[in-house]
Amino acid sequence: MSTPTRRVDAREKVTGAARYGADRTSPDLAHAVFAVSTIGKGRVVNVDTAAAEAVPGVLTVLTRIDPAELGSPGFVMGGGYGFQSLQPLTDDRIAYRGQPIALVVADTLVAATEAANLVRAEYEAEPVTSDLDAEGAETLVQEEAIPLPFLADIVVGDADAAFAGSAVRIEETYELPRQHQVPMELIGGVVEWRGDTLVVHEGTQNAGALRGGLAKQLGMDPAKIEIIAPYTGGGFGQKNSLQPHVGPLALAARRLGRPIKFVMPRTQTFHQASFRPASRHLVRLGADETGRLLAAVHEVDQQTSRHDLFPSMSTEITSRLYGIGHFRGRQRLVRTDVQTPGFMRAPFEHPAAFAFESAVDELAYAVGQDPVALRLANDTDVDPVTGQPFSSRYLAECLRRGADMFGWAGRTHEPRSMRASDGSRIGWGVASGVYPASVAPAVARLTATSEGKVTVGVDGHEMGQGIRTAITLLISEDLSVGVDDVTVDVGDTRVAPQHLTAGSWGTATALQAVHAALRELRKHLNVADSDPVDVGAAVAATGQTSVEVEATTIAPGQPPEIIERSRAGLVAFAGPVYPGFTAFSFIAHFVEVRIEPTTRRIRVPRVVSVADCGRVASPVTAASQVRGAVVWGIGASLRERSEVDPRFGGFANATMEEYPIPVNADIGEIEVGFVDKPDPMLNPVGVKGLGEVAMVGVAAAIGNAVFHATGRRLRRLPIRIEDVL
Amino acid sequence: MTAIVRGSGGNPANAADEDVCLALGSMGSSESTISSAVRTETTFTVNGRSVRVELDPRESLLDVLRERLGLTGTKKGCDHGQCGACTVHLDGRRIVSCLTPAVQVNGQAVTTIEGVADPDGTLHPLQEAFIDNDALQCGYCTPGQVMSGLACIAEGHAGSDDEIREYLSGNLCRCGAYAGILAAVRETARRPNSPSSEG
Repeated sequence: MSTPTRRVDAREKVTGAARYGADRTSPDLAHAVFAVSTIGKGRVVNVDTAAAEAVPGVLTVLTRIDPAELGSPGFVMGGGYGFQSLQPLTDDRIAYRGQPIALVVADTLVAATEAANLVRAEYEAEPVTSDLDAEGAETLVQEEAIPLPFLADIVVGDADAAFAGSAVRIEETYELPRQHQVPMELIGGVVEWRGDTLVVHEGTQNAGALRGGLAKQLGMDPAKIEIIAPYTGGGFGQKNSLQPHVGPLALAARRLGRPIKFVMPRTQTFHQASFRPASRHLVRLGADETGRLLAAVHEVDQQTSRHDLFPSMSTEITSRLYGIGHFRGRQRLVRTDVQTPGFMRAPFEHPAAFAFESAVDELAYAVGQDPVALRLANDTDVDPVTGQPFSSRYLAECLRRGADMFGWAGRTHEPRSMRASDGSRIGWGVASGVYPASVAPAVARLTATSEGKVTVGVDGHEMGQGIRTAITLLISEDLSVGVDDVTVDVGDTRVAPQHLTAGSWGTATALQAVHAALRELRKHLNVADSDPVDVGAAVAATGQTSVEVEATTIAPGQPPEIIERSRAGLVAFAGPVYPGFTAFSFIAHFVEVRIEPTTRRIRVPRVVSVADCGRVASPVTAASQVRGAVVWGIGASLRERSEVDPRFGGFANATMEEYPIPVNADIGEIEVGFVDKPDPMLNPVGVKGLGEVAMVGVAAAIGNAVFHATGRRLRRLPIRIEDVL
Repeated sequence: MTAIVRGSGGNPANAADEDVCLALGSMGSSESTISSAVRTETTFTVNGRSVRVELDPRESLLDVLRERLGLTGTKKGCDHGQCGACTVHLDGRRIVSCLTPAVQVNGQAVTTIEGVADPDGTLHPLQEAFIDNDALQCGYCTPGQVMSGLACIAEGHAGSDDEIREYLSGNLCRCGAYAGILAAVRETARRPNSPSSEG
């Protein structure tokens, strides 16, 4: 089979035929809008719904739900299902600005919107704490607050003593802002009852958690809940768990006997869903005069909410970037008055790598070393934390090949030494990225017909990363069937448990299960694993019109019963430390910035990124993933910051105009390379994750390039014009 | 008003196969007094077909397309004219349908993403170019990108890469497919028949 160059669901997407959650319509659809809190903390004393109820077409205004009728979903990182444990509308507490205080359902969207605007509330307001250092912020040591092994501080050797004894010492603090995921598809969809079965159509990365969480909240049998999400219009972590609007909608739909559509207004998505928390990173690097790293300390303070502890895993990657013999991590959580923060693309790794890889660049300049050479000199084949080998690690090849593609040899080392003909300052920067290679349990059910068609239902969610294409390619190549003869069903609890797709484990997880199902199919068809097969003829030879097989796979070292956690909708992934090996993906980014002479505007005309993600399962979509992640890195370092007015809490720039994600004119050339060597240990398909690692290090490479252009070391993101005046 | 019949707001087949007549009041209770007092009968064409609807003046063209006419290819990303996901053509000009009151398009011609490919399914060259250049990921902004890309070419704003980037910067793509979008528009603009490619 020739390798198809196209994304398999592209036609549906360019014609508008792809159906997202809110694209469902039906004649009896009702529409919902939430009225939300206008204070940042306190208590609702009274909600006046009279004017709202008087709006023609309004069906119901719900201000309070009995917790017995709608319980807490539990926090996704605390053994539950929700982005936070707090379920709005179940008591009178206001924990954050924008928290729902009433649900309005009406015949039409205009009526529901008008009515929601007429809901009036009286509050007892309390002072709000927003910032890491504000009065009222409560700082906890993570390993004491959440005594779980994988959240403990990473300590190797005696980093403080080794740092003190180092000839060269770097010690700096880096500040990273709150940011929001802002997927283009608004949160929401359609909730309906078909008899006693609850059906939810909503873009999500975790249909399993929606089912498990709603079953828990509503006291239902999960078998009576179906989540259908064939397309998700971007997730980036924001849609990785059950959102608190779904439960109230399910109750309202049951009472009204009508399906309800809910499309969360953009501004509310900044308050009713997760975000990347503010964090502060202290990095100490100790090295000898040649730049050989001897010790590193990485201390992190990360924002969380009052009601949940959103843990940090920042030091998981900084302890593995280089072969450093002494490392000490410390992660603390700071409670503030906000909805619970959560995962946003490279959630900890982007901030951590900005801090650490900026510090490594500072070290390179302190010892007069080329930043690429210094990184190569500190590479390692062994996981410094466990002493185990990496399953595969081609970071050095990423750095070397990237340097070639970029033309790094033409760089002059001195800051402010490169200038364009128009007077722009030119800066070239480099940084490494690393991200854990995790795997989750998965079930694949594969059907082959005597007509040579193959259908697979498997754990996974298609949110743009191209998982449907990668699965199609695997089947097409294995069975020599055309891509048009393959159908992939993902994001649907009717075909598989639908474990969370996040953390860059989605493709490896789904492909491993589909690979196992293909082996099972070949057994049923009496075809050896390596032999070519005519699927249609082989199925016909069995005397059946179709053959169905099923396979369940888990991560290396997981107990078989882990699949039950996944079936329940709970997080069940493993990695990056497995029995006998440690698995990470790697990348190197090379960035050119130009700082315009009069405006001092910072532009990024070109980026080269070379990734080691194991075997590249789907070349076209993989390259798009990397380019997209670079765009994310540009936004994260030069544009995006969720602004907070500490007097009021909430987010002040909660629109797509004022929260500036990159636009087309911000983006220049992005060249992508892959090492493309299969990982021999993680799974039989040889695939590691890509979508997250691709963003890790971009911000540091940009910051390092800005230093090279200006001589100014900027340790707070985003870097803006005023920083380089 | 008596000629208005209730339509199935959710059935795209209606929009595609025959003229569509819908009435807001019939969607729910008959007590829609506020709305009925200001309801306005509006007639326009969508993808070449005539449509007659009774509208609340607050209804956006976007919501009417999606919720009343079943044309869900046009997407809502912000509802404030900031993201471009809802871009459609009005008498050949690109507009953000979320900021356009539907009553305002009376007598005009609306083209949505559903009207870009030939009725026989043959894709427009720009749609093909989007696929060839993988100018999309999650696909949610894609209909708006295609509608803006068509307009960018028709306006004569596809003369250079920088010009294309500028004239497509009203359409946000959070997946970051900008390089592919640029390549798709550039490639299509350079075809012999451009910029008259809009149907």
